[in-house]
Amino acid sequence: MALDAAAAPGDTPRTLPQPSPLTRLAVPDDPSASNAAPETHASRRRFLKAAGAVAASAAAATVGSTVGCAPSTSGDGEGKATREEVPQALPTRTLDRRTLDAVGDVVLPSTIGSAGRAQAVEAFVTWVDEYDPVAEEMHGYGYADVRYLPPDPAPGWQSQLIGLDLLAQRMRQRSLAECDAAQRLEVLTAALATVDAQRLPAPLGAPHVALALLSHWANSPGAWDLALEATVAPNTCRQLDGIDAKPRRAFGGTA
Amino acid sequence: MKTVSGDIIIIGSGITAANMAAHLADNTTRSITVIEAGRHSTPFRERGKARDRYLAYGENPWSRDHVDDQNALGVTYGFSPNMHVGGLAMHWGGVAPRYSPEDFTTRSLYGIGDDWPFTYEELDPFYQEAEERMGVAGEQGPPSLDPRGRPFPLPPIPVNYNLKQLQLWARNADIATWSTPSAKNSVPYLGRPQCQRCDTCYPVCPSGAKYSPDFTWDALLSTKKITLVTETLVRRLVADPRTGRIVRATGNRTDAGGEEVTIEGKTFVLAGGFVWSPHLLLLSRDSAFPNGLANRSGLVGKYLAGHRNIGGQISLPMELFPGINAQHSLVSKQFQRASYKGKYLRHDLRIWESGVGRNARLRDDDGTLLLGDALLADWKQRAKGATARVRAYYDVLPDKESKLTLDDTAKNRFGDPMPRVAFKDAPESAALRAWQEEELRNLFRRMAKAGGGEVLSLASSSNDIGQEHPTGGCRMGNDPSTSVVDGWGRAHDHENLWVAGAPAQVSASCCNGTLTFVAVGLRTAAGIVKAG
Repeated sequence: MALDAAAAPGDTPRTLPQPSPLTRLAVPDDPSASNAAPETHASRRRFLKAAGAVAASAAAATVGSTVGCAPSTSGDGEGKATREEVPQALPTRTLDRRTLDAVGDVVLPSTIGSAGRAQAVEAFVTWVDEYDPVAEEMHGYGYADVRYLPPDPAPGWQSQLIGLDLLAQRMRQRSLAECDAAQRLEVLTAALATVDAQRLPAPLGAPHVALALLSHWANSPGAWDLALEATVAPNTCRQLDGIDAKPRRAFGGTA
Repeated sequence: MKTVSGDIIIIGSGITAANMAAHLADNTTRSITVIEAGRHSTPFRERGKARDRYLAYGENPWSRDHVDDQNALGVTYGFSPNMHVGGLAMHWGGVAPRYSPEDFTTRSLYGIGDDWPFTYEELDPFYQEAEERMGVAGEQGPPSLDPRGRPFPLPPIPVNYNLKQLQLWARNADIATWSTPSAKNSVPYLGRPQCQRCDTCYPVCPSGAKYSPDFTWDALLSTKKITLVTETLVRRLVADPRTGRIVRATGNRTDAGGEEVTIEGKTFVLAGGFVWSPHLLLLSRDSAFPNGLANRSGLVGKYLAGHRNIGGQISLPMELFPGINAQHSLVSKQFQRASYKGKYLRHDLRIWESGVGRNARLRDDDGTLLLGDALLADWKQRAKGATARVRAYYDVLPDKESKLTLDDTAKNRFGDPMPRVAFKDAPESAALRAWQEEELRNLFRRMAKAGGGEVLSLASSSNDIGQEHPTGGCRMGNDPSTSVVDGWGRAHDHENLWVAGAPAQVSASCCNGTLTFVAVGLRTAAGIVKAG
């Protein structure tokens, strides 16, 4: 699957589908098998996520090094964090919400307000939590083989959150959450300096958790409406009535 | 060993099979048994959730939709591993144009390709039947461009605000456009609701407004008009060497047990599409029919046809709002019906709203990282204006050696070689290709200029991915030496064997083919009824 681009309304249907915030979904292992026990699916998902977490823990140092903030094993100077002072790089897929909120304050626009940012972060966390690693990818026209979605990105993203905190410690001697807005931007800019992309990557293909969060929000109907300054609500099911009328202006747009 | 029987055996349960079964159930008292290698996929009640997960993650919304070791090899663009009840049309986009009259007489009109054994006018009643059974919403185009015997059964999907602006633009370029015919309910129809423009027609409609074959199967099963046997792979047809009549089919269950199955019937219908229908005929070779069944002409698996396209994105000085109904489009048949004085080129034209170039980006033109307010400010600027997506399918005349063969290097669990597909243009198409594609690029440049816009990108179908909306492999014709089945889809060599829909077609026109696959299948169903 091409994971290099967030799809836009009007793209060819063959492009990556547009992620949207999900409410928590109870998705059985096989939706067509009404008798399938939900536990079966949950077990598979737990196994795949655990396997992904173990793999990610082994790679955590590498992930951290891409932003120049590999965990230090000793407290060797001012501002240098020690393993005892920061969360351990446990093989976990649970994202550190405090750091993620701080990331959201930087990457998400202020226009949506603090409540909107919190909502966007919550939607992202839900989206991550509900991801089913290596599920079967949509195979429509275009290729004849069956392909699979990526392994669980969450452990890697969690290690990046740890890395951001470490970087904040090194650069500003405090956690990212404790940094002010300008400092957070400085840390994020440093962390993303090596990301060589013009386009916003799709969330699943994002090389950094900050971009995954940003992309997840940017693909939401609400974000599109904000950019268009109109009420269009792409990718939502709604009536055909009034479809020929110019969309109503919103968010400060002028008719 | 399990035995299955019926008067009429339909092998395959895709969109052509479903509509044929409905026609047969309405017009005969003979028992109908449908054999499907796959299983039932995502039931209707689960499709809302399946859509959510598709949008969120790109997950396949169709669970259990293929048989693991049953797949085609080679350039298989337009093919999908779907093998389940309803087939590929469970995830089709619902776009349902007719071919144009010229498609059926290219040899007579232009001296190229081959004529079909019937005309557009003869197919018109079956087009109408297909449109009524599926529920096609359409706008009557200019009659000279869009001939049809009776009105569409449903009013058109409305031309929305974006498409209205694009229609004016096309008109300035002297191109007549109208709402693309679609098997989507513009109004409630046959117990299914009105379209809610969820914009996931492809690959899954959560509301049921888009037609998919399961609706027909559900109706036929609930009234006990057919028997549907799933998870049963037909691996051989067995013909009487003296009479040529098909006496039975044999196969295996595709579940873990793999039990052998014998299928007995009086009439056999292959409705497995352009891959599995010729594949089964070739697999059915024996001492009496060493080249496979229905293959006296040596043309089983040959003349695979399709079309390619040139597509593009054009920025325009107008205001559009991406996402109003992004999968719906304008269509024109103006270039399918043109009279040609010189080089041959026929194509359709579709126009969509597009969000390309108007989405958020990570870095600006200077390479500066954009986050938060800076990203939104940049995005708002990019979101202004308009982008149109355009695409033209042009027809490709098939070479005899555009073919499906058995590949002994890849076998399923039962030891059957899998099909290998290789498309090849007829010499006249190959010679014209570069010129045809440049003509289409020039059309889009001209359209951009007429609207004061700019071509952002132009792209052609990649040469190595095959062709779209593929057909052929069991082509129809009046001459048994140059065709596999007659004009009704009946095998020249086996009087109780019929091949339905896409594989029987002579060519693939230059527009989406599903409606024609079904119409041709319905004509075959009428032939079966008539044959008694």
